[in-house]
Amino acid sequence: MNQLVCLAQPGAAILAARLVVPLGSHLDPPRRAGQQQLLAGVLTRGCGDLDAEAFADVVEGLGANLRCEAGDDLLVVALKCALADANTLLPLMLQMLEQPHCAAPQVELERDLNLQALQRLQEDPFHLCHEQLRHQLFGSGPYGHDPLGLAPQLASIGPKQLQQAALQLPQARAQLVLAGDPEASLLERCQERFSQWSAGPVAEQSVAPSPAGSLGLLACDTEQAVLMLGFRTVGLAHGDALPLRLLQVHLGVGMSSRLFQVLREELGLAYDVGTDLPARRRDSPFVWHLSTSAERLPEAMDALYGEWQALRQAPLAEAALALAKAKLRGQEALGRETGSQRADRLALLLSHGLPADHNERALERLGSIGPEQVQAVAQRWLLEPSLSVCGPAEALVQAQRHWDQCWLQGPPPGQ
Amino acid sequence: MMVAMSERPLAVLRPALGFPAPIQTSLSNGCPVTLLPLATASVVCMEFWCQAGSLQELPGESGLAHFLEHMVFKGSEGLGPGAFDLQIESLGGYSNAATGFDEVHYHLLLPPEGLGLACELLPRLVLQPSLENAAFQLERQVVLEELAQSEDQPEELAFQHLLSQACGSHGYGRPILGLKPDLLAHTPNSMGAFQQRNYRSDRCAVAVGGNFDPELLLAQLEAGPIARLGRAAQASPRGSFNFQAGRQQLALPRLESARLLMAWPCPAARELDALMGHELWATVLAEGRRSRLVEELREKLQLVESIDLDIHPLEEGSLAILEATTEPENLPRVVEAVQQVLQGVQEGIRPQELERAKRLLGHGHSFGLEATSQVTHQLAQATLQGRLLDLDAPLQRLESWDLERLQALAPAWDPAQASVLEVLPA
Repeated sequence: MNQLVCLAQPGAAILAARLVVPLGSHLDPPRRAGQQQLLAGVLTRGCGDLDAEAFADVVEGLGANLRCEAGDDLLVVALKCALADANTLLPLMLQMLEQPHCAAPQVELERDLNLQALQRLQEDPFHLCHEQLRHQLFGSGPYGHDPLGLAPQLASIGPKQLQQAALQLPQARAQLVLAGDPEASLLERCQERFSQWSAGPVAEQSVAPSPAGSLGLLACDTEQAVLMLGFRTVGLAHGDALPLRLLQVHLGVGMSSRLFQVLREELGLAYDVGTDLPARRRDSPFVWHLSTSAERLPEAMDALYGEWQALRQAPLAEAALALAKAKLRGQEALGRETGSQRADRLALLLSHGLPADHNERALERLGSIGPEQVQAVAQRWLLEPSLSVCGPAEALVQAQRHWDQCWLQGPPPGQ
Repeated sequence: MMVAMSERPLAVLRPALGFPAPIQTSLSNGCPVTLLPLATASVVCMEFWCQAGSLQELPGESGLAHFLEHMVFKGSEGLGPGAFDLQIESLGGYSNAATGFDEVHYHLLLPPEGLGLACELLPRLVLQPSLENAAFQLERQVVLEELAQSEDQPEELAFQHLLSQACGSHGYGRPILGLKPDLLAHTPNSMGAFQQRNYRSDRCAVAVGGNFDPELLLAQLEAGPIARLGRAAQASPRGSFNFQAGRQQLALPRLESARLLMAWPCPAARELDALMGHELWATVLAEGRRSRLVEELREKLQLVESIDLDIHPLEEGSLAILEATTEPENLPRVVEAVQQVLQGVQEGIRPQELERAKRLLGHGHSFGLEATSQVTHQLAQATLQGRLLDLDAPLQRLESWDLERLQALAPAWDPAQASVLEVLPA
């Protein structure tokens, strides 16, 4: 059910708020990739008594930060404002989801802006490589595209479809998390309205089955080649999520991390190297990424392959595991300084049906996780490699050859 | 508390915006230190700043300031490559560094119990880099990869082109990452000379914010290498540059959307009040949907995907830079529409536009001080540049601007005064 939670910061002059509904881009209907992000953008273009211009006048006139975005799982309205302005802006935030206009000219404008943004993103080889990897991992279904969508499909979405989609917004599974010192009467008013939200059920899309490993090649006339190695893993609530997080930290967080040490410090292959493991409701992709000179691509593929196999073949050294745990504890401590950070984290947890103290509990469990458990998790989830490469054509030929010779041989026997 | 002797008179600061008064002091060699103890903070942040940005590079030295910032993390005497990162990250801490035109800075964010170690290690790392040859050769590869990565982004190339067009042979027109022939020619010796010349007591500053004991910290800094730095051989020259107005076109491969880039000269960073006036202008023009340019070009004419206008404060003359993203065929219309908006606003800003801009800027300032690392960052930079003021000083400056004073700045936004770059797909 809907929850309104206030993280009290007595005396704070700033209020941060997150209004979250589980209506992210994974719910984009077939052939309408980009719908939920378009909807999110349109929510700031008029609601209730305010048309787009009047809405912007209120928010900008108060000097507030307000943005609305669809992620893979969640549609998030984020607000930061002076405390005194919360009486105006918090009810407005609710109204954005209760009574959005989705007026045709505004929908068309927002859609054109998103289409142009997609076009501009084609300039970025990291984006291209990542989109290819998404497709390798998730096909054309949920999680298979950037929330901005796919241009031809986005272009076909009209105001009517968006107005229909908007009916699901006042969800009974919404979370409103505040950080600050709002008046009790304001909280009561919000709570009262919020508790009446009960839009109908949402049609879930099924995620494509886990793919076999694959190599994706995309020709791009760049100096460097971008490499992304991805695995489909588990959702945030899964028991293996914590050991996987440790693996991610071990490999890619900070200058002491394994990939940084090997690929950058020992081999000088790359400037930017790291890992991502976005917290998803299910099937979080675990991505290892770097970009290197096209002629050094085979060397980089060798190194990535070696690191992947090492994780599966032998348990982490005790010292490496201890370092990963310390870094994870540090991330937790450093990442909850501001009201916005705290509201973000709590809204995410509650949206995924997890308890508010999920992270604290995870830190308590950290001590009991040993190298064998981490290795077992690596063997379970880092099984099928999907490698996406974006770079000059001659480098792609090298990549294909390397893949055929080395990666296609599969994991060594005995696994 | 006991405050070490100081060479320059220090303004007395007062508490503001929910923060206690920052403590201004200096080490025995004159290196300024600013401390902001926050008993309730869950973290501590330490920043070391130095006027050793790319502007200090002599002919042939391009890229050296940034390359040195990389080499710092490759170790110091008794602290092997990676040893610093390992120790800091084992404590749950995080470090980073960045090189700009005017400054380089090193940043540490960590749990309070880690500060003692950080305070021992960071000064050694930054001021006594080993510059060992094998590590130097390897790190050069990394810097070249960083350069290649940046050059694979057409947007970066366009931005760099605009800077060189507007700033000419001045340091602000040269890429911070350096020119490739120079990068290939650098040696540990040339880097050592740059380091010795620029990392001096009168060109450095330290700021620490968060949960810590100021006296302990000062004693520790005083015992370390920062306090042993000598002064620079010559005062850091503070020049200016001849801004070059004009119009150019550039065709770039792999560009998908066209760009209009425009730069205007603005007052130097030390001219806080005048710069605030320009910030207000930029906000009226391009911050939010109700700003002049966004409203006209994106919302009404629907000619651009985005249009931004940012003030980049710089010591030898700031820059205002406009960037619009559009379809290639619409570029001429965008150029024209921007001109019309800029001409229209010459007739005057409306009162409600000024109020809106003041709110946006004022809140932006307050919102930007929420995290310990943000406030420490601002204190460190202001300390280095010798203009530390109360944390709410920008809000007071904002209030001093009215329509009449703003109107006097209108000629500065004449499109004919700008350096204009039209960028199209090749």
